[in-house]
Amino acid sequence: MALRRRLLLTAAGALIVTTLSRAGMAANDTAAPKAVTVHTVTIEAMQYQPQALTVRPGDRIRWINKDLFPHTVTADGGGFDSPEIAPQSSWTFTARKAGEFPYGCRLHPTMKATLTVR
Amino acid sequence: MSAWLHTPTGTELPAKENTVKALSLMMSAAVALATVTAWADSAGPTDPQIAAIVVTANQVDIDAGKLAKSKSHSAEVKAFAQRMITDHTGVNKSATELVTKLHVTPEPNATSKSLQQGGDDNLSKLKTLSGAAFDKAYIDHEVAYHQAVLDAMDKTLIPSAQNAELKALLVKVRPAFVAHLEHAKKIQSTLGSGGA
Repeated sequence: MALRRRLLLTAAGALIVTTLSRAGMAANDTAAPKAVTVHTVTIEAMQYQPQALTVRPGDRIRWINKDLFPHTVTADGGGFDSPEIAPQSSWTFTARKAGEFPYGCRLHPTMKATLTVR
Repeated sequence: MSAWLHTPTGTELPAKENTVKALSLMMSAAVALATVTAWADSAGPTDPQIAAIVVTANQVDIDAGKLAKSKSHSAEVKAFAQRMITDHTGVNKSATELVTKLHVTPEPNATSKSLQQGGDDNLSKLKTLSGAAFDKAYIDHEVAYHQAVLDAMDKTLIPSAQNAELKALLVKVRPAFVAHLEHAKKIQSTLGSGGA
């Protein structure tokens, strides 16, 4: 019992020290990465929702396919192109380059949306 | 039940009149589905009958897609055919899972049989064709078929579905039929200008 409590205290102490030192590093280092923002786009009923999404460079965008068949997320002019995303699966992309990227589904030419990175 | 459609002016016309007008623009696929719209005058199909219609409608297009994928020499037509196989297989998988869950046994009926007959006739006709004539006949039929199925969904199947999940599935897949129709029309326009 006593041994277990001591182990727990040690573990907790180690955690606090680690957390403090990380916080200290972050405070001194302006280049430290901030928490990544993740945006979600739902693909359902042959549509990307939202149709237009604006994100910051470094943000992540996750497309979730809720249709009954595969779709892709393919930029018209290059920049990103997912493999076929199966039903109930998702594909995540990290936006790096600023710009406006109209995109659509390679499999279904009527599907269109826009991703803006700025 | 839903035998009446609201016209933009607010007056009501029997659905059948509109239906007949729309159907006159279509071809064999529409003939196969004419019996669906005839239901607009009566109580409409039951859920087990709707299930059989949905499964048959998808299967007929999967079969046509398989033939087109093997016979066509056009990359665009082959890609479209593959899309029909994949998408309609996905829809049928969900439809089958749902009716299994709901303990609904699809009940063959005049419409599902007529759809099957229409699909068989289409395959027989396509098998006699090749090259550009094949592509044109396949795509023309795809345009008519998707238009006719949409018509049936809107006028009969969706309004008649009693089970909420069955109705929701029909509503969920409707946009796919719209997209397929637009896709087929786009290909149709390029085939038309290419000549035989």
